[in-house]
Amino acid sequence: MRRFRSILGRVVALHVVAVGVISVLMPLALYWLLNEAANGLHRDSLMGQAVTVSGYLRPQANGGVAFDIPAEMRALYTGSYGLYAYAVIDPAGKVVFSSRNDGTALFPPGETHPGDWTMRRRSTGSVLFGVTVPRTIDDRTYQVQVGQDLSHRDVIIDDIVASFFPNVMWITFPLLLALLLIDILIFRRALAPVRDASTTAAAIGPTRTEVRLPEGGLPSEILPLVHAVNAALDRLEKGFRAQRDFTADMAHELRTPLTIIRARVDSLDPGPLRDALRADLENMTRVVNQVLDIAELESFVVGNARADLQAVCADAVALMAPLAVAQSKTIALGGVEHPVWVHGHAEALFRAVRNLVENAIRHTPADGSIEVEVLDGGIVRVLDDGPGVAEAERDTIFRRFWRRDRTKPESRGLGLAIVARVAETHEGRVAVENRPTGGAAFTLTLKPAETEGQSPERQP
Amino acid sequence: MRVLLVEDSEELVALLKKGLTQGGFLADAVGTAADADHALSAMRYAAVVLDRGLPDADGLSLLRDLRRRGDSTPVLVLTARDGVSDRVTGLREGADDYLAKPFAMEELIARLQALLRRSDNLLGRQLTFGNVALDTEGRQVSVAGVVRPFPARETAVLEILLRRSGNVAPKRLFEDHLFGLSGDVGSNAVEVYVHRLRKMLADAGATVKVHTVRGVGYLLSEDKTA
Repeated sequence: MRRFRSILGRVVALHVVAVGVISVLMPLALYWLLNEAANGLHRDSLMGQAVTVSGYLRPQANGGVAFDIPAEMRALYTGSYGLYAYAVIDPAGKVVFSSRNDGTALFPPGETHPGDWTMRRRSTGSVLFGVTVPRTIDDRTYQVQVGQDLSHRDVIIDDIVASFFPNVMWITFPLLLALLLIDILIFRRALAPVRDASTTAAAIGPTRTEVRLPEGGLPSEILPLVHAVNAALDRLEKGFRAQRDFTADMAHELRTPLTIIRARVDSLDPGPLRDALRADLENMTRVVNQVLDIAELESFVVGNARADLQAVCADAVALMAPLAVAQSKTIALGGVEHPVWVHGHAEALFRAVRNLVENAIRHTPADGSIEVEVLDGGIVRVLDDGPGVAEAERDTIFRRFWRRDRTKPESRGLGLAIVARVAETHEGRVAVENRPTGGAAFTLTLKPAETEGQSPERQP
Repeated sequence: MRVLLVEDSEELVALLKKGLTQGGFLADAVGTAADADHALSAMRYAAVVLDRGLPDADGLSLLRDLRRRGDSTPVLVLTARDGVSDRVTGLREGADDYLAKPFAMEELIARLQALLRRSDNLLGRQLTFGNVALDTEGRQVSVAGVVRPFPARETAVLEILLRRSGNVAPKRLFEDHLFGLSGDVGSNAVEVYVHRLRKMLADAGATVKVHTVRGVGYLLSEDKTA
């Protein structure tokens, strides 16, 4: 059944075969039945003839019989075109009356018994079919044979039977075809909920977990499958939620002590120790925040949101500008100046761009510049004046805790992993190449938003 | 200046109270949303510092109730969550500002001052950054204590920069303030005034510098080398 993958295809194929078989068998059966009925009519008619003919036998005073067949009846039995023939045979087996010119019996007397149907092929090639009925006169039983030449059977009845076959084909074949078409429509309708469920199922991607297949209107044969799929989705979403709750709790557990330490350090007297502790705390805080971001992004669901990439980049550049300025680096936002709507969660995208900018600032020497470019079609490019990224490192750079320079304690390699993860959750991608002038060019490509008017952010 | 501190960690409350006092605030501290409700109905505070993670409720539900009652006391929300999906929620619920834990004490003080300035002009009319000061009522600029006659438009640019000191002020903000809704802003009109201001500040020996963040806005930074 590999050739017919769809249920509808299988049903139609089997149905076509069934229609073919039925369109042959049904006329044959009907033809047989009709023929039987026609034969029955013939026999009734012959029997009637035989009874009528035997009624013309009259007893004679000499103990013999007379045969008073009316002239108008006789016409039926005489001549070469006579439809019927008769013969009367006495108990001794002698033919006493016969419609035939040679006065012979229709069927050999010894071979026939009263009530028998007999068929005989004559020397002329025509077939004689007849019946023998008994007639008792004065305790002597005569046999009356009445026969009919089958090549001259009743024309009307034969016409009906002969014309039946082509007619029945003309009627049954279109009917069967119509039935086939109706069945296809019925099946299409019956399978529509299955198709709808499939469409819905196709929409379930890594960005959505809240979608469930509709269970209403589904055939009971398919319902268990859909139900099982929905149950699996429930478990998946529950797992995601548990992960999110854990991340939120972990954030609270990690940040509360950090806040207390920070407040304690801030209350110390100014001096080099306080500054050193603050710097350590800031590094610690950055790593904790990045780890929490990565953990949250593991179970992050973008949903049906859209975001203005231009505004997101403007926010990220504005947030990071003080850091760049403090390190004597210039930062600018270029590209288009109108909103660029993409499929995505504004805050997640903001974190991705912020991490790209942070990375660019870190690798750009003092007096260098960082340029963020927003392009139509959902593309962000972050260009820096740093040393660029070697060909061999262009994939590994997006892995967690990857560090180009393992001797620098402050540069944990989570920033670009966050960017890569955000790109992944948004069905986008991030790549790096070197600029012709040296320096790295990171390109984050997102999916443009298809429709207008959706809520810009999804509530958790 | 009395503020209400709603935070359940006693250790943090003690430290924050100390820091706020040093920053010129008087702080009342409560540990639950219910106590905060009582305190807010009993007394009018200049601002509320509200932690999201309270033992009896989410800080945001307290904020919602407050706003529903028509109370517009400025609220600074503190949160330990700051997750990808949490960050925007607080601001949408009616918070005036949002600070993620852990934070620097100076940051908290600066944000509170900015909030109060924004709301009722409760905090002095003097904006200062580095050796530059602006009297927002008298429209007077002084650099290193010497009053300088800055033109109105340049003073307006400086005011926006001072109010946002340390952060980028978006270009649109200048356009709105300088030219109102009358529109017809030349594409480099703001840049012209910023350029003049830059020159005036440098001539006056200011320790602050106006940086252009092309495509976004302007940023005032303290030039420590000057």
